[in-house]
Amino acid sequence: MKVIIIGAGIAGMTAASTIRKTDPQIDVTVIGKEPYLPYNRYLLTEYLCDQLDDSQLYYLNLEEIKELGIKFRKGESVKAVDPENKQIKLFHNEVLSFDKLLIATGGRQHLGPLLNPFSQFIKSYYTLQDIQLLKRNLNSIEHCVIYGENLSNLDLLAGMYNLGKKITYITRRDQVLFPLLQSEFADYIHEFIQNKGIEIIINDKPVYVEKKTDKYRVLTLKNKKIDTDIIFAWDDRKPNIDFCQADKVYQKKGILVDTHLQTSVKDIYAAGDCTEIYHPVLKNYWINFGWPNAQEQGEIAGKNIAGHKVEYQIHETLSFKLMGKPLKARWWE
Amino acid sequence: MEHKELSIRFCGIAGDGIVSASRIVANSCAGIGLHVMVNDIYSAEIRGLGKSTSTVRFSNSKVYSMGDGIDILVGLASLESIDEIDDMVPGGSIIYDSSQTSDIPEDESLASHIKPNMQGYGVPLKKLSNQATNTNKGRNIVAIGAFCYLYGLPQDIFKNYIKKIFNRKGEKVVTTNLKAFELGYEYCQKEFPLDHEFPIQTDAKPLTMISGNEALARGAMDCGLQFFAGYPITPATKIMEICATELPKLGGWTIQVEDEIAAAGAVLGAWYTGTRSMTATSGPGLSLMSELLNLSVMAEIPSIIINVQRGGPATGLPTKLEQGDLNIALYGGSGDSPRVVMAPTDIKDCYTGVQTAFDLAEKYQTPVIFLSDLFLGQRVETESLELNVNRNRSTRVKPTAEQLRNYNRYEMTQDGISPWLVPGEEGAFYTVTGLEHNLKGNPNFESVVHKDMTAKRFRKFKTMVKDLPPVEIIGDEDATIGIASWGSTIGAILEGMEIARQKGAKSKLLKSIMIFPQDENAFNEFFNSCKKILVFEMNYQGQYAALLKSSYNIKPVEVHIPSVDPVSPAKVAEKILEVQNDIK
Repeated sequence: MKVIIIGAGIAGMTAASTIRKTDPQIDVTVIGKEPYLPYNRYLLTEYLCDQLDDSQLYYLNLEEIKELGIKFRKGESVKAVDPENKQIKLFHNEVLSFDKLLIATGGRQHLGPLLNPFSQFIKSYYTLQDIQLLKRNLNSIEHCVIYGENLSNLDLLAGMYNLGKKITYITRRDQVLFPLLQSEFADYIHEFIQNKGIEIIINDKPVYVEKKTDKYRVLTLKNKKIDTDIIFAWDDRKPNIDFCQADKVYQKKGILVDTHLQTSVKDIYAAGDCTEIYHPVLKNYWINFGWPNAQEQGEIAGKNIAGHKVEYQIHETLSFKLMGKPLKARWWE
Repeated sequence: MEHKELSIRFCGIAGDGIVSASRIVANSCAGIGLHVMVNDIYSAEIRGLGKSTSTVRFSNSKVYSMGDGIDILVGLASLESIDEIDDMVPGGSIIYDSSQTSDIPEDESLASHIKPNMQGYGVPLKKLSNQATNTNKGRNIVAIGAFCYLYGLPQDIFKNYIKKIFNRKGEKVVTTNLKAFELGYEYCQKEFPLDHEFPIQTDAKPLTMISGNEALARGAMDCGLQFFAGYPITPATKIMEICATELPKLGGWTIQVEDEIAAAGAVLGAWYTGTRSMTATSGPGLSLMSELLNLSVMAEIPSIIINVQRGGPATGLPTKLEQGDLNIALYGGSGDSPRVVMAPTDIKDCYTGVQTAFDLAEKYQTPVIFLSDLFLGQRVETESLELNVNRNRSTRVKPTAEQLRNYNRYEMTQDGISPWLVPGEEGAFYTVTGLEHNLKGNPNFESVVHKDMTAKRFRKFKTMVKDLPPVEIIGDEDATIGIASWGSTIGAILEGMEIARQKGAKSKLLKSIMIFPQDENAFNEFFNSCKKILVFEMNYQGQYAALLKSSYNIKPVEVHIPSVDPVSPAKVAEKILEVQNDIK
């Protein structure tokens, strides 16, 4: 049996590893868009701050991939899935056949319609490539603007603070608020960040960005003008499923899966940040973004692809231990 | 990752601009003072679809071989490029076309064969080429732009050379090619992180590039080559092409004859008149020339035969490398027929060595077989030749007035050299024949005459030793591992010795352009200073090792490499280390 896994993030690689460990006879090909070995996304800020080396960043090295017997193809992207013929087509028009397929393409940061026209001036802080590019330019950065309420922005704030950069943080809320449910840290994070000397702009949002020679000028809704060296912003996170045809593999915001993580098409599974699964409490389909969930779903999908019947139990995953230590500790302790 | 040297290979089929691309990279790098070596490998079939590769290795320091492995593969033809992945170094990069219009099966896709320890870069070469040039022909230039960005090289070095070479085709061609380059560069700048760097020394002077065949033709012309006769054969044809273009400008002649026998005959005829002449061929041609080669020995008329070796026997492997013609060069032909055999080891040797060949041939009235090879002849590299131009150069031993009073063309002399009067010169006339002859040149089959004449013909080679270029000992003087080799293999050995030295194994190399005769004292002295002798050569039999074993009291470790690709420095180093362990 030949299994193709689209996506070499934690969901895809966990599934690949699970399949091979469950049944070594299964031929597994993993296709990853990023040009790297599988890495710990949650360690990127430590990597930015030179607090760890390459070997700590990657959770699978070449030898381990070889031992697992996975055909690992990095730096390649899929442009179409043909469920009827059980084929996928890569960006460069290579056609691969599969018996079973797992879509584990994760999610991505997304700019809303207001900021999208300025995307060429706005940096993303999500992938290893983003961080490598940022590292290369750190010397020319004195000041940065960060906008958005996602946890990775909290991470970015910590990183840039540790690197001695001046920071202006913009939030559309009336105080600094990150999704730190059930965490005490959430209660006093606004003051905490303020005490670190970070400029905070509340109840506002960037609406216009212009390039001024080596600098950028950010205009906000409330007509503030901020000159800066680099801007990081994102409005929300979206599943990476552009290559799937909506009429064949059923999707809403993400790819819809059942509790076995199988899609509307037999032998095609999905796991991780690209999936939507029915939440009985919410009574709606729901995406459970995040590393721990992706890892768990990857393992379940892998087992099911290999012939088992394992169900994914709906639960929310909250983790305040990114980078192996509590969120607060990574920059203030 | 910072690189001190890089090796980039372009792979495709005819029409993909493989050679053009590699020459742009090579000349651009040479133009800023980098040391460059280029090797082309192409199929033997005379048709439009054969696969070809061209590899450029460049470095901040001198390169002696094509090294081990390639850092960047540019696959302009997907299927044909798959095999080249085996030559990639870990961490290497593969640039492939991501804008193929037709579906590619997984098995035939270059991308699907990229290993996890390499990096694939899908660049829409065809699409960007069409955007820039309205054709697919600029794919190679787009790829160069991509390579330039991915390895952090300055754009100007390539752009300047692109302007220079396309200038004669008009401004539009320059503009479209520059556009193709920029699109490749900008695409990668947008899509890929910059992982590689190649620091450039800004104060280096530009270097010029030359091939072994060009250096050889230039060397011959600079020392008085007046007449070239030949029949085209891969990989020697370039020599004839250069002579056909350049020799008439110097007042000389080049003639393409009906076959190699005629070529050798014409060369012999020219030398009969004292005219410096030569032919160039490859193994199959040398086989045909053996009859005339014997005439050259017997009649003591000089001749120069350049043999740019390729894979054999017979028509063999026309476009592949082998050092398999040593035996025919040394022994081919009837009777006891001594001849000079020389083998240049690098481009400098091609230039200076062929001049020595002319001097020896003319002075000692003997054939000289000059054994170049496909890799040395065709590769192009940065080299600064010290030109030695004297078109009136002559080493002929002419008869004195006293000798002319009773002139013997084949005078029995102590050194074996009979003074040589050429037809048309005043003073005497004589007979020249392929039959055994007496002092006057008249046929004579008496035992004593044959014995004396054979001894005289061999005696010249003892005398010749004083005129031979000195041997060079390279490496650690106190090393106990000695290496002897010949021809272009020497380049890989020099690099292999350095690799081994860094791993703790000292060695030294005896480098000599002379295969026969040799300065036996120098060879013996070298061999006596070593505990182990290694002989590397690119043939199955160990032809050079056999010669050395029969000439010197040595039992070398023989490494026979009947490969079609240049020798790997890493494998040379491996063998040196292995021998060192044996000594311990």
